[in-house]
Amino acid sequence: MNFKVVFKIVGRVLTMEGIVMLLPMLVAIYYGEDVWPFIIASTVVTIAGMNLACINASKDFYIREGFFTVALIWIATGVIGALPFYYSNLFPSFVDCLFEACSGFTTTGATILTDIEALPKGLLFWRSFTHWLGGMGVLVLATALIPTIGIRTKYLTQAESPGPVFSKLVPKQAQTSKILYGIYCALTLLEVICLKLAGMPWYDSFIHAFGTAGTGGFSNMNASVGAYNSMAIDMIISVFILLFSVNFAIHFLLLTRRFKDVIQSDELKFFLVVVVAATALICVDIRHLYPDWTQTFRFAFFHVCSIISTTGFSTTDWLFWPYFAQMVLIILMFCGACAGSTGGGMKCSRILIMFRVIRREIHSIIHPRSVEVVKLDGKVVEEKTVRSILTFIGCYMMIILFVTLIVTIDNLSFGESFSAALTCVSNVGPGIGIFGPAGNFSSLSSLSKLVLSFTMIIGRLEIFPILLLFSPSAWHRS
Amino acid sequence: MNIIIVGSGKVGFFLAEQLVKENHDITIIDLYDETLQKAYDNLDIMTIKGNGVSPDVLSEAGAATADVVIAATSEDEVNMVCCLTAKKLGAKYTIARIRNPEYNESLLEIKQNLKIDVVINPESAAAGEIARLLRFPAAADIETFCRGKVELMGFVLQEGDFLIDKPLFDLPPQVKKLQLLFCVADRNGDVCIPKGSFVPKAGDKLYIIGQPSGLDKFFRLLGRYTPKIKKVFLVGGGKISKYLIELLRNMNVRLKVVDTDEEKCREISTLFPDIMTIHGDGSDHQLLEEENLKLYDAFVALTGRDEDNLIISLYAMQQGVPKTITKCNKQNYIGIARSMGLDSVISAKAVTASHILHLVRGLQNSQGSVMNSLHRIAGGEAEAMEFKVDASTRNIGISLKDLRLKKNVLLAVIVRGRSIIIPEGSTTIEVDDNVIIISQSGMITEFNDIFDDTYVAGGGVN
Repeated sequence: MNFKVVFKIVGRVLTMEGIVMLLPMLVAIYYGEDVWPFIIASTVVTIAGMNLACINASKDFYIREGFFTVALIWIATGVIGALPFYYSNLFPSFVDCLFEACSGFTTTGATILTDIEALPKGLLFWRSFTHWLGGMGVLVLATALIPTIGIRTKYLTQAESPGPVFSKLVPKQAQTSKILYGIYCALTLLEVICLKLAGMPWYDSFIHAFGTAGTGGFSNMNASVGAYNSMAIDMIISVFILLFSVNFAIHFLLLTRRFKDVIQSDELKFFLVVVVAATALICVDIRHLYPDWTQTFRFAFFHVCSIISTTGFSTTDWLFWPYFAQMVLIILMFCGACAGSTGGGMKCSRILIMFRVIRREIHSIIHPRSVEVVKLDGKVVEEKTVRSILTFIGCYMMIILFVTLIVTIDNLSFGESFSAALTCVSNVGPGIGIFGPAGNFSSLSSLSKLVLSFTMIIGRLEIFPILLLFSPSAWHRS
Repeated sequence: MNIIIVGSGKVGFFLAEQLVKENHDITIIDLYDETLQKAYDNLDIMTIKGNGVSPDVLSEAGAATADVVIAATSEDEVNMVCCLTAKKLGAKYTIARIRNPEYNESLLEIKQNLKIDVVINPESAAAGEIARLLRFPAAADIETFCRGKVELMGFVLQEGDFLIDKPLFDLPPQVKKLQLLFCVADRNGDVCIPKGSFVPKAGDKLYIIGQPSGLDKFFRLLGRYTPKIKKVFLVGGGKISKYLIELLRNMNVRLKVVDTDEEKCREISTLFPDIMTIHGDGSDHQLLEEENLKLYDAFVALTGRDEDNLIISLYAMQQGVPKTITKCNKQNYIGIARSMGLDSVISAKAVTASHILHLVRGLQNSQGSVMNSLHRIAGGEAEAMEFKVDASTRNIGISLKDLRLKKNVLLAVIVRGRSIIIPEGSTTIEVDDNVIIISQSGMITEFNDIFDDTYVAGGGVN
């Protein structure tokens, strides 16, 4: 491992994050609030970053350095994200700040706050802005802004971008990152405008647009999106959630008018089928709770979108729904959004490939000598990719079990502990029981909070970069 | 520019590597995952798996908006069809690698009918380079400019040469009056454009530019003059060999060819009945001795394996053959070869790459002065380019001492009509001159690029 180059890159990204922290400071100035938390945090981070960025390092940078760097950057990002919360003295402890920041950057949206509306606006802006930064990825942003970061920037974005296979949109990585952020910014702005037109105040529109764009789920209201009780707002957010949870390559293909390729996307079809099916099932199940089909559809559709995209907004406390509807949502938490989107979970493409591998396995029992390849979008999926997907799914399940075990130390019910583990690793936000849409994570012990914070980062980076940190051979100098 | 490369073999990869450095957008198409993965991991490019002949694959790669499509797969026919399809889809410029000597005669028709803009033949180009080296054995590299009026030669300094340990401005007068210029120096891979104060050391590779007659006299002074090569020993009967035999036969050189493959030997003997063809293992020392290796003026190793070529060339050198030329495609071996004393190392890949880079840079500047040729020297660390000066060139008629050139750029030679001028402070650039530029910085695409625009002539610092 070439530690020097790793730290150098970490330093550069930290410097960038330190500067970005000045944005919520402007919001705080605008509302006449205390700006010191931001000034202190930004100064500390920028100076630390600049010091690291000055390291003289060789240019040896391979995939292991890429994964290692990404893992370190995300852990560091969680810590620095917590600094403004910590310096504001409005949070009970540093662990709480850390949980909130990790939840923000990993676009989970789980909170330890009991009264969100009591917080100053600048701090809430930072809290939601972390969603926006973490959604598309801090490293994607770094490669777009700092093209000289290294020769093999691909390894960085590869480790950060969700999905089983990573592909560029255009030949140059820096250009790809710029296109991704371009689409991301444009969609976010469009949503802000739509929300404003639907009657939300400017500030709230930004907060919810950030929450949607990153598929995070932090709101500035205690009752989340439900506080506005507006059909239009619900629908706007649902549709944008769907836009942000499909692969951004699809948006790029649409922009470049390659509609044929869009139609060929198996993952997109699968994702839409799952959304429609889940909405239909929930509609039927909760029909008796609402006066008419329109209202039923409104709530079912909103929550299906919110959960499958791993956003976690809510307009009602769905813990009052029948258990069947709740279970459908829990299954959606596993599934997650599309690869290459801002959403979390296992990703639709992995689930789809897993189904196809299962079908192939059954075929091979019937015809032991059959040779069959697994295909996605009409293209052969490499056996290496298939293997890594199956390993990924296995790891995912084991991490959920392990984290559930740790959380049960707090003596919570199985359902609550399990949902806490699942919601954190899938970056959703709400779970069931005390962690439900109306609840929060404040009652947990510090140990559970730390483990869950770490779990969120594991989920966001799709396990392997973080697991690499636990491999002794990764720590050898080279 | 958007460039599609079909085939990510040795040439494809090397080209992509060079073109990425020049900031082009590259997409590589190949059938095999392994080579694609390697390219994808090492270069900032996009890769597409598939057959480059298929219109679907080509349009996925963006052939419709591609500026250049380079077909460099191992099969000539695939390359041809690929260029045809790409052109149909809307690619602006197509380059095909066609290597089979049998296509050589009908090349013009193939080009016209298949709408191929340029055909490159690495083997034939490499053979041409070997033939040039055999014509002038004192040099390790030779590049020619202005249809042979100017030559650029590289040679390695040996202990006892009179150039050693003396700064360049202190050259003996008989060398100074030869009108030559030391334009590039390569000391173990550290390449620079030498100043007057540069002190050459044994083992340095120097590049010298000037008129062929002047260079001839210089090498005589250096005591490197070797008589004309009359007998050449050739190991390996591949494509390069066939092209080379063709060229050498016209130079009245006696040849002996050794190959392990009987079929290849028969083929050569059918094509060139007057040549001694031997079926046997060219890496077997006994065979080489039996065939009187020592009596030959030059030894050329062209087998398919770089390692064999290096070892047998070393053996030939040890046996006292005055000139050895080695084919070596692996870039990382070239340094090792040089450190062992093999100075003339030929790589078909590198020859092709400089050819294509020249084409691409030419396409890049649609206006401005035309680049007539581009040669990469000193292991690709420096470039020698020839431009034609026309009315679009700036600073015409201004004496050079009032101009500031970019760093690491040297205006080496001006060819004006019949005279060859090594520039001095009072020299001016005129329309219709041919100028040869040495550059270490890469990105020179047209002649105006050599001027440093931050400097205002005569204005001092402002």
